[in-house]
Amino acid sequence: MGIDIGKFLKNPEYEIKITTYRDIFQAEALERDRFGEEYRKLSAAIMMSKNDMKRMGFKPGDRVKLTNDNGSIVVELRESKREEPGGVAFMVNSPWSNALVSGDTGGRGIPEFKNISAMISLAKEEVTTIERLIIVR
Amino acid sequence: MVTCTCTGCALLCEDIDVIIENNRVKEVKNACRRGAARIRGCVNRLEPSVNKKQADIDTSIKKAAEILKNARSPMLFGWGNSTCEAQVKGIELAKRLNAIIDDNSSFCQGLLIERILKKKFRTCSLEDIRNRADVLIYWGSDAQDSQPRHLSRFSYFPRGEHRQHGYEEDRTAAVIDVRESSTAKICKGHFYRIPTGGDRELILALMDALSGKVPKYDKRVLELAGIMKKAECGAIFAGIGLTYSIKDDPDILVALADKLPNFNIMPMVGHYNMRGFNENLFKETGFVNRIRFEGRPVHNDGYAVVEALRQKSIDALLVIGSDPLSSLPGSIVSHLADIPVICIDPCVTLTSRIAAVTIPCAVSGVESGGSAVRMDGRVVELPGIIENNHLSDQEIMTGLMEAL
Ligand code: SF4
Repeated sequence: MGIDIGKFLKNPEYEIKITTYRDIFQAEALERDRFGEEYRKLSAAIMMSKNDMKRMGFKPGDRVKLTNDNGSIVVELRESKREEPGGVAFMVNSPWSNALVSGDTGGRGIPEFKNISAMISLAKEEVTTIERLIIVR
Repeated sequence: MVTCTCTGCALLCEDIDVIIENNRVKEVKNACRRGAARIRGCVNRLEPSVNKKQADIDTSIKKAAEILKNARSPMLFGWGNSTCEAQVKGIELAKRLNAIIDDNSSFCQGLLIERILKKKFRTCSLEDIRNRADVLIYWGSDAQDSQPRHLSRFSYFPRGEHRQHGYEEDRTAAVIDVRESSTAKICKGHFYRIPTGGDRELILALMDALSGKVPKYDKRVLELAGIMKKAECGAIFAGIGLTYSIKDDPDILVALADKLPNFNIMPMVGHYNMRGFNENLFKETGFVNRIRFEGRPVHNDGYAVVEALRQKSIDALLVIGSDPLSSLPGSIVSHLADIPVICIDPCVTLTSRIAAVTIPCAVSGVESGGSAVRMDGRVVELPGIIENNHLSDQEIMTGLMEAL
């Protein structure tokens, strides 16, 4: 059996928990132009604590891929300006975060918008555009 | 200068001054940045269309009526950004079509609003909060970002009738959240961080502490219980962070409220008239959402928009003032590609991009008037302030009924 070189070239993946929040600047951008650059910049991002980033070998500004059974997106990594103990990453609620939310609600109709598990890894691809999120699979 | 009501969130601020020049908004005063952006309007106004080709508005409305008439199981969804008058017409339309009707509260604050309307919680008006409240608990709610003038107009900062010393002396505000939110930054020293999904455990610990038992929990819960116990007039502002976390057993919050006789519960509502829809449907059916009319109203969780899309149980969808493609899980919206979607909105949205029919409407509160229900249940009038040619939501509903 040959050695699977691809396996070693693949960027390391880490499990993370993500919760979502609201941001007034993003809400303002949404009112003005949900297809605009500002809305994308403020939505297609994930905030992590300094410690978590260090542990995973990421730095602010890196592009990261977030993947789970529900979808896969590429967003920009930012360092949280808030005091964070770590262990949880944060995204502003948007079509980007919703791409990772499961539709399974146990029949109750309320998805886990604020309790998302995903794998995170460095990404070579560009940040996911909003157009990509409209393509209904 | 004219005064208008902002429809940026369910605070419905009525003190917004707008300078209009050449029938356009030139300047917005007093609003928060979100509200100001709503009043100034979006850059991409929606155009009427049928099958992605431009159409006149009458053709769009006729086509929409045809789609709804031919559907076996149509759903009418949205409503949180429509006036009460349009909502009432929408409920009539649902009856006429034997359709399913649901709104954003179905995956938002419906659980708590239902309990408010059924009088399971003590609640009060925002004016009561301003005049009397001394202990304010923002729980899973970042008002500073979601209802941005809540603290300044009503809760923490104002010198209310019996709270002349405002936040300096008369009021204590605490935040319970998984994240150090903007509101938590203001309530420094009274920020209680919980893990994701940890709300129930904290509620149980608080209930123990309030009954004089020693809770098995971080010691700070005793401090929080102490603050709550001393309240003359307290309020828990329940955000969706809390609601989502206790969705399997929302009555646990009722149990906590029962232990706090001086407290009021207020669900923090985002969409400006979500509560209006809940009240209007409740009056008609006894339920706040998830209804199908089959000669009589039938309530079922299968009629929740999320479930209906996941189970692919609807064959046409009318969306009004909402963008499900943007706000629902990406994994369930694929059904929207298989059924005709009718989109009524002032602006181009993700959903309008895939819609079979688009019907542009006026921005309520700016281009059309009506009434709406504030997050605390008070009815607020919305004067329209700009003359324009767009139909209001209400007129579009009337048009649809006529076309049927
Ligand atoms: S707080 Fe809400 S209603 Fe008031 S100005 Fe801001 S968005 Fe508008």
